[in-house]
Amino acid sequence: MTVRDERLVDVARASFAIVLALVVVAAALALLGFEPGPALAALARGSLGGTAALTATVLKTTPLLLTGLGVALCFRCGVWNIGAEGQLLVGALCATAVATRLLPDAPAVVLLPAVVLSGALGGFAVAAVAGALRASRGVSEVISTILLNFVAIQLVALAVHGPLQEAAGAYPKSDPFPVAALLPAIGRWHLGIAVAALLAVATEVLLFRTAIGFRMRAVGLAPRAARFAGISPERIGLATLGLGGAFAGLAGAFEVAGVTGQLYEGISPGHGYTAIAVALLAKLHPLAVIPSALFFGALEAGAGAMQREAGVPASVTQVVQGIAILVSATFAVAARRRPGAAAAGAASAAAEEAT
Amino acid sequence: MEALLEAAVRLAAPLLLAALGELIVERAGVVNIGVEGTMLTGAFVGFAAAVASDSAGLGVAAAAFAGCAVGVLFAFFAIARGTDQIVVGMAVNLLAVGATGLAARALYAGATPSGPTLSSEPLPFAGDLPYLGPILFSHTPFVYAAFGLAIAVGFALTRTRAGLRLRAVGEVARAADAEGVPVARVRVTAIVLGSCLAGVAGAALSLAQSDTFTESMTAGRGFIALAVVIFGRWSARGVVLAALFFGLANALQFRAQAQGFEIPYPIFLMFPYLVTLTVLAFVAARARAPADLGTPYNRERL
Amino acid sequence: MCGITKAFVRDLPVLESVDFDIAAGEIHSLLGENGAGKSTLMNVLVGLVRPDAGTLVVAGEPVDFATFGPAQAARCGIGMVHQHSALVPAMTVVENFAFGDPDGGWLFRPARRRSAVQALAERFDFDVPLDRRVEDLSVGERQRAEILRVLGRGARVLILDEPTSVLTPGEARRLFTSLRRLRDSGHSVVFISHKLGEVEEIADRVTVLRRGRTVGVLDVAEADAPTLGRKMLGRDVAPLDRTGRPPVAAASGPPLLQLNGLAAPGATEASRLRGLSLAVRAGEIVGVAGIDGNGQRELEEVLAGVRAPSSGELRIRGEAVTPGARSLRAAGLAHLSGDRETSGLIAGFSLAENLILKGSYDDRRFFRRGCLDLGAARTAARDVAARYGVVPNDPDADIAVLSGGNAQKLTVARELDGDPAVLVAVNPARGLDVGAARFVHERLIERRAAGAAILLISTELDEVMALSDRLVALVRGTFVPIPAGADRAEIGAILLGGTVT
Repeated sequence: MTVRDERLVDVARASFAIVLALVVVAAALALLGFEPGPALAALARGSLGGTAALTATVLKTTPLLLTGLGVALCFRCGVWNIGAEGQLLVGALCATAVATRLLPDAPAVVLLPAVVLSGALGGFAVAAVAGALRASRGVSEVISTILLNFVAIQLVALAVHGPLQEAAGAYPKSDPFPVAALLPAIGRWHLGIAVAALLAVATEVLLFRTAIGFRMRAVGLAPRAARFAGISPERIGLATLGLGGAFAGLAGAFEVAGVTGQLYEGISPGHGYTAIAVALLAKLHPLAVIPSALFFGALEAGAGAMQREAGVPASVTQVVQGIAILVSATFAVAARRRPGAAAAGAASAAAEEAT
Repeated sequence: MEALLEAAVRLAAPLLLAALGELIVERAGVVNIGVEGTMLTGAFVGFAAAVASDSAGLGVAAAAFAGCAVGVLFAFFAIARGTDQIVVGMAVNLLAVGATGLAARALYAGATPSGPTLSSEPLPFAGDLPYLGPILFSHTPFVYAAFGLAIAVGFALTRTRAGLRLRAVGEVARAADAEGVPVARVRVTAIVLGSCLAGVAGAALSLAQSDTFTESMTAGRGFIALAVVIFGRWSARGVVLAALFFGLANALQFRAQAQGFEIPYPIFLMFPYLVTLTVLAFVAARARAPADLGTPYNRERL
Repeated sequence: MCGITKAFVRDLPVLESVDFDIAAGEIHSLLGENGAGKSTLMNVLVGLVRPDAGTLVVAGEPVDFATFGPAQAARCGIGMVHQHSALVPAMTVVENFAFGDPDGGWLFRPARRRSAVQALAERFDFDVPLDRRVEDLSVGERQRAEILRVLGRGARVLILDEPTSVLTPGEARRLFTSLRRLRDSGHSVVFISHKLGEVEEIADRVTVLRRGRTVGVLDVAEADAPTLGRKMLGRDVAPLDRTGRPPVAAASGPPLLQLNGLAAPGATEASRLRGLSLAVRAGEIVGVAGIDGNGQRELEEVLAGVRAPSSGELRIRGEAVTPGARSLRAAGLAHLSGDRETSGLIAGFSLAENLILKGSYDDRRFFRRGCLDLGAARTAARDVAARYGVVPNDPDADIAVLSGGNAQKLTVARELDGDPAVLVAVNPARGLDVGAARFVHERLIERRAAGAAILLISTELDEVMALSDRLVALVRGTFVPIPAGADRAEIGAILLGGTVT
């Protein structure tokens, strides 16, 4: 099969996953006493029906795109980063700290980059903790990144009840961002959207056209064989984890600096977890993360409308995510990537077995 | 002090139940990070059944059944279809959050009632002992079940043929297969059993520790259970001790809160996760997992 | 067994219409080269592989392959000891005997089971330590435990897959004695091997397989080595032509590769490296002979820069080199391996990507300013495929679709590229058919003539003897010199003197 054929199969499989998920959800809704027809119609309207809906979709897509990229990169290198949520939150936290406490009076040309950068660094730092635990103490990053998510949620709570709380002290939220810290925008379409899309392209280039990306892919496919080529799976793992964290942190910064203008609890409705679905549906391919993020973004945007108009709770989106993950990961020749597991690859494996 | 220890035992029970379930699964060579979602499903189904039938006991049974059902789902994808175990586990977690949220809204339209619970019953003689009585022998059935099962699981793993087979499958699946042990069947059974226990652990939350169901009420306990298995070095005895350790940490946290220490509330909430991370940092490198953990087995490929 | 046919991959049959029979009270050897299909045939017999066609009759009863698995085979009295141990290292010997036992109830009683195993050991006169974990046993002890376990299940037909590949000559002799004892008591033994000498020594009858087909069933008493060899290989087994090579004296000058007191931890106590010292000069091939498990893997990994030595030094061209894959390669050392675990090929990467794999840090032909030049890589791959006859020759093809021989050609091309001064070749012809093996050996001789220093580590004594100018034995992590002109028997004795047990 040529590379093009494989891509087509991936697209077909992703589409099948989406359709199946929607069908199952419609059935579940009917079973639970909701009316699937109006619900799905509300979903479509809320995500694609008109400028406001499209805007909502795009705004929801951006953090999913960024976190999805980070997660896809990590998964590709065999690093199970489930902590995008926490990395996003800490990124938002650091961005808010810089914008409202550390440099609130700086001019935009200084403040904006500082805000964005601190977001990325914040996310990087969280991921680095998990990375350090993995590298030096052998702690599985699956568990550590998840635990850090919970810690991060409380860190944000701590901040908005305390040091970062608004001047009035009435509600647990931060001061609104000074104008200089806000992302330039056209209407509600902020600069972060473009940056995210560009980063997707950049990530694709990184993976497939650079030496580092080459090494990352090598480690993801066969860490032991990569060692013989002088590549250190530990270093690559750390690097990708850090990069994934930075991407998620960036998403957090963009949320506070481009969408909400301030920090409060619950600023992320689980973007970091949805990112996993985004990455898997895209088969860990950076450019494919864009349409995948759009799908889940539309889903979230439409879910709000679905809740308002049809009374269907937004938790439906997680059901769709779960089904999408299962379907896209399963009817996959996902095992294709593992040595000797491909049908054709079994030839060499069998030849060696048949002594 | 007495109250602290009593709380430690009580709080350890759900964790212990879930961890025992995961222990069985991991000794068979499978990693199931969907414990969290399974617990949540058990918590909801147990609660809903208890409310509908006004019987907490029935709720527990329903939770166990729900756990088994989730286990079957996991086993289908992870074993029968060979999907990556971590991915399936994440999917289970997402599905659980979404489905329980959906169902809760559908059934209770936002006004979740209080349900029947299982209360603490002192055991006939042991409960009257001066010091140990209230600490060890005056608890809900969940606690008794948890510790009783711990003994049973420990015994089963080392002294029954089924336990030996399970361990063989988790260490060297190929060798077990060559000896005629049905690897897939053993793993599926382990998964269903483990998930059943996780479901009951969830019921312990909604039918004893609290009297209602709230969305995402498991709050990461399932993931802590994963850490408990590692901390306990994949042995039943170790898991009991580890669960008690976390129970104690939890109890201390509540005690400090109640004493009104001048520490912000979020820090208390962070506490269990930080403790888990710290423990893992010291323990993970030295604990020895079952050799075939996480590796899918397929006979015609090596 | 009649007409057994099996293909794991369409159009690439591993077995074609193979017939095989075994009588009670005989030792029957299954002989053939690597890849001939011996293991697969026996896996069919023991229920691990279902054939595409053919029949199996056991004690007069035909077998239904749809329901024939290892448990059923055991009930028919067929048991197999595989090349790779089927014991669970983390469990004790007694536990290993218990978990697969179909009879015996749900409870495991350690004491009772132990005495049962003890009685079994005495009945068959096997010496097996019972109370230790399998991971603490020697290779010979593990094998005896496995054989005993199979016998304990009531096996009348015992299949052994290359049992001597991990034994010292002394242990092998002990094994043969036990096998003869079993035969005399009415058991049947199937002895899979690719070593002519062993077959001659132990077997009553021999079936020769070549490329998945039966080419002959002979009484060992009547067949001689040349006949068997011819049947196994399809032509006369001629030693590699050593004429035309410059005499040993031509190897001169300072050593290009020096090992000084190299020590490294090992997977087992026996394979730990203890102060290895060796020098290889330009234009010579130094062969390291040895039985698998004596430190070859560890030595290879140290030389490849993947295992850190605990002490000692490595010098290349007189300069000390810090052990690390990149620094060794930069100093001029190439590592060529025929073993899947160390060959450094990545399944999922294309031919081109595997070809340039080791150059991602410093090969400016393909990696400039941090960027990957895939076009140049593809061209290079096409070129290599043409020159070396690699099939398929599409540079974007996944390397996993290549056969062992073709993949090895790519490895050879990759490692010999740039004319390395020092070459470490490890089992370079493992798993290859005769033509491919000859190709690899010829490339090594070419390099030797061009002045490279070659260290050949191989568990195949014939390969090492045919190619090397000088021989040394690796026994228990130590180098033992082999005098020039020593024959196989003498070398075998040296390999023996320092037992693995």
